[in-house]
Amino acid sequence: MSVYRSPGFDFSNSTRNNFLLNKGVPLPKATSTGTTIVGCVFKDGIVLGADTRATEGPIVADKNCEKIHFITEGIRCCGAGTAADTEFTTALISSNMELHALQSGRKPRVVTAMTMLKQTLFRYQGHIGAALVLGGVDPTGPQLFTIHPHGSTDKLPYVTMGSGSLAAMAVFESKWSANMERQEALDLVILAISAGIFNDLGSGSNVDACIITADGTEMLRNVDMPNQRVQKERDYKFRRGTTAWTKEDVRKFVVEETVTSTDEMDTS
Amino acid sequence: MADMVSIPHSQPQQHQFNPYTENGGTILAIAGADFSVIAGDTRQSEGYSIQTRYAPKVFRLTDKAVLAVNGFAADGNMFVKKVRQRLEWYRHAHAKDMPIRAIARLIQTMLYSRRFFPYYVYNILGGIEEDGTGAVYSFDPVGSYEREACRAAGAAQSLVQPFLDNQIYFKNQTPAPGTSFPGHLSLSTVLSLVIDSFTSATERHIEVGDGLEMYIVLAKNSPSIQSLRDIRGMSELTATEDGERVFVVRRDLKKD
Amino acid sequence: MNSFVDQFSTHSPTAQLKRAQKLIAAEEDDYSDAAWGSQAGFGGMIKGIPAFKVPAVADPTAFLRLHTDDHADPNCRIKIQHGTTTLAFRFKGGVIVAVDSRATAGSYVASGTVKKVIEINPYLLGTMAGGAADCQFWETYLGMHCRLHELRNRERISVSAASKYLSNLVYSYKGMGLSMGTMICGWDKTGPAVFYVDSDGTRLKGDLFSVGSGSTFAYGVLDQGYRWDLTDEEAQELGRRSIFAAGHRDAMSGNTCNLYHVKEEGWDFIGNYDISKMYYEGPGDVPGAPGGGYGYAIRTEGRSAANPPPS
Repeated sequence: MSVYRSPGFDFSNSTRNNFLLNKGVPLPKATSTGTTIVGCVFKDGIVLGADTRATEGPIVADKNCEKIHFITEGIRCCGAGTAADTEFTTALISSNMELHALQSGRKPRVVTAMTMLKQTLFRYQGHIGAALVLGGVDPTGPQLFTIHPHGSTDKLPYVTMGSGSLAAMAVFESKWSANMERQEALDLVILAISAGIFNDLGSGSNVDACIITADGTEMLRNVDMPNQRVQKERDYKFRRGTTAWTKEDVRKFVVEETVTSTDEMDTS
Repeated sequence: MADMVSIPHSQPQQHQFNPYTENGGTILAIAGADFSVIAGDTRQSEGYSIQTRYAPKVFRLTDKAVLAVNGFAADGNMFVKKVRQRLEWYRHAHAKDMPIRAIARLIQTMLYSRRFFPYYVYNILGGIEEDGTGAVYSFDPVGSYEREACRAAGAAQSLVQPFLDNQIYFKNQTPAPGTSFPGHLSLSTVLSLVIDSFTSATERHIEVGDGLEMYIVLAKNSPSIQSLRDIRGMSELTATEDGERVFVVRRDLKKD
Repeated sequence: MNSFVDQFSTHSPTAQLKRAQKLIAAEEDDYSDAAWGSQAGFGGMIKGIPAFKVPAVADPTAFLRLHTDDHADPNCRIKIQHGTTTLAFRFKGGVIVAVDSRATAGSYVASGTVKKVIEINPYLLGTMAGGAADCQFWETYLGMHCRLHELRNRERISVSAASKYLSNLVYSYKGMGLSMGTMICGWDKTGPAVFYVDSDGTRLKGDLFSVGSGSTFAYGVLDQGYRWDLTDEEAQELGRRSIFAAGHRDAMSGNTCNLYHVKEEGWDFIGNYDISKMYYEGPGDVPGAPGGGYGYAIRTEGRSAANPPPS
């Protein structure tokens, strides 16, 4: 091996990982948000939507996670794919956007965040498994983008991402229209996310939404909760002493102190 | 010589023949003293898509036997069809229903006859034995079987079985001093446990949900019928009189 | 050119292949008359070895391995149960057969109540290791043939003959993917007998065998305690203690121990013993047991400061 490191990124670990995979050593399973995320443009701004299920293979890891991430006050980003990747890339870009705003003394723009995200993702050649829906309102008006894990982007009036993207897109394709009212757009987003929740196994639980206009951002956590847990038939309380033990060892951690008075100190 | 060359072309050439898929879902059966409960969810899925929200996985075979199948749905449905055919032939030859222990052995031989091209199906057979006791038989895809008191199979097997072990076999529980755990659970307790198993599996497994079908087989003149009186959404499927009775209870499960 | 000739030729290999395929298609789902009556199931097979359906691929064995062998692919769909401890040994009082009861599929304990001793008939026992269905099915099938032998020859089949029957049978399927490691145990004219038979075709006569992933642990206890002139109680205790050792140390074995004793007048089921219970409390009030738990911590309790007596 050369003592000089070649310029650019080093992907030798991914070669190693593939080798291990072929040898039958699987990579540790990452929590993925097999997800439905959407965004749509309306008259005054943007509505973003997401479901709240996080999965590990076929198991539901989190029934009420948050997939709409903060970028700046007027820009939010929905993440699908590997949970850790979406969280850390959006957090990183959020930091950089704040620094950028501070340095330039201007209001942050959605295209700036989009460019930062796509350049980051492209550099990692798809190894960062983040599929994003980025939306917000900036001085140039409402903006909506999707960013794919390899770095390609789209700019569209209504977008969907994640495993439930087809179900959600079906709703948008049949019901979206230009210049919708705020409530109309919110209802449509809820409907699109619901389509994902009920028809895609990777998506489920509740609907989160976020309405961004020039006047401000309204985060609507759990706007719709169509999947409440049902009451159990029995209660499963165990009698004290149910668990068997082999040894009992009681230790006192509170040190008891007793103050005893002695002869007064000679202070003369 | 020309003929010999032409043979390879006429033979089917495939690199990988994969006739199997996994269709999700979970089944479960519990035997009581004089009853048996066999249940399954009704979702059928492939990958992340739901193929149907109502595909029965539990089937009444006779008035004293109910079969639950899980795994590859096409194999499962075909297998149930063939078992039913063999039971009908038996009825024509002997003018009676085949006893459940004989059905269990029949299922073993039917599964094993496909040892080299298996049915990708996990079977659980529940019902009433000739001596009037509740029985559950569980099978692997190639026919090894065992009589048990309870068994879960399918996608959420590893979620449901430990719960059942704890609540039915009282595994990892010590009874209060001077007492012991009941040998057999009542029908109402068993039904509650089955419902809770499925609502819990639905919460945490993406392939379980939509609907629940519980079949209840009661022994002749079983007093357990009392606890069925106030069960919501129940209907009777018994075909013959004065014998074992079969009921089905249908419930909704979450659809996400 | 050639394909045109093939199409209309009646003696070309293609035509023969087509004819054979037609024949196979006709035979499919063709039940014998026996299937209609009480002989359905095993009944139809006593006339000969049953016919198996085989996938229509060039290499059926590779197909089966692709879908069932969990060594090749941890994600394969059809899990075949593996992991076991079984043992059998011959001594002056007969044969002791002891097994565990765990079935595993990967790291999942599929069952803790498996009957790994197959009661072939009142004089013959078979043990189960490897494919559960293979052992159950073929040993039941062996039982039918042992009965036929009795009817034809007016005497019981010898353990040697029975095991050879099984050995020849599985050998005829060699390379097809059967997986069995079994001990055929019984008492015949020659006295107590144990034969090891496996799906490779191996058949061995011997005094002492242990098969399965926990066999090394079982052999450890078995070899140090084995003598020909063991009393019945000592022998039963040795079998039980050996399975305990395997169940305790091998993750793939455990749950309970099933103990059988084959005597001149046929086999006896001695009992079922919980392995965790044996650790803490011992097998209970049974002849031959030393009393108290088998566990090291239990046996040495109160002997050192590190393991003080119970307060």
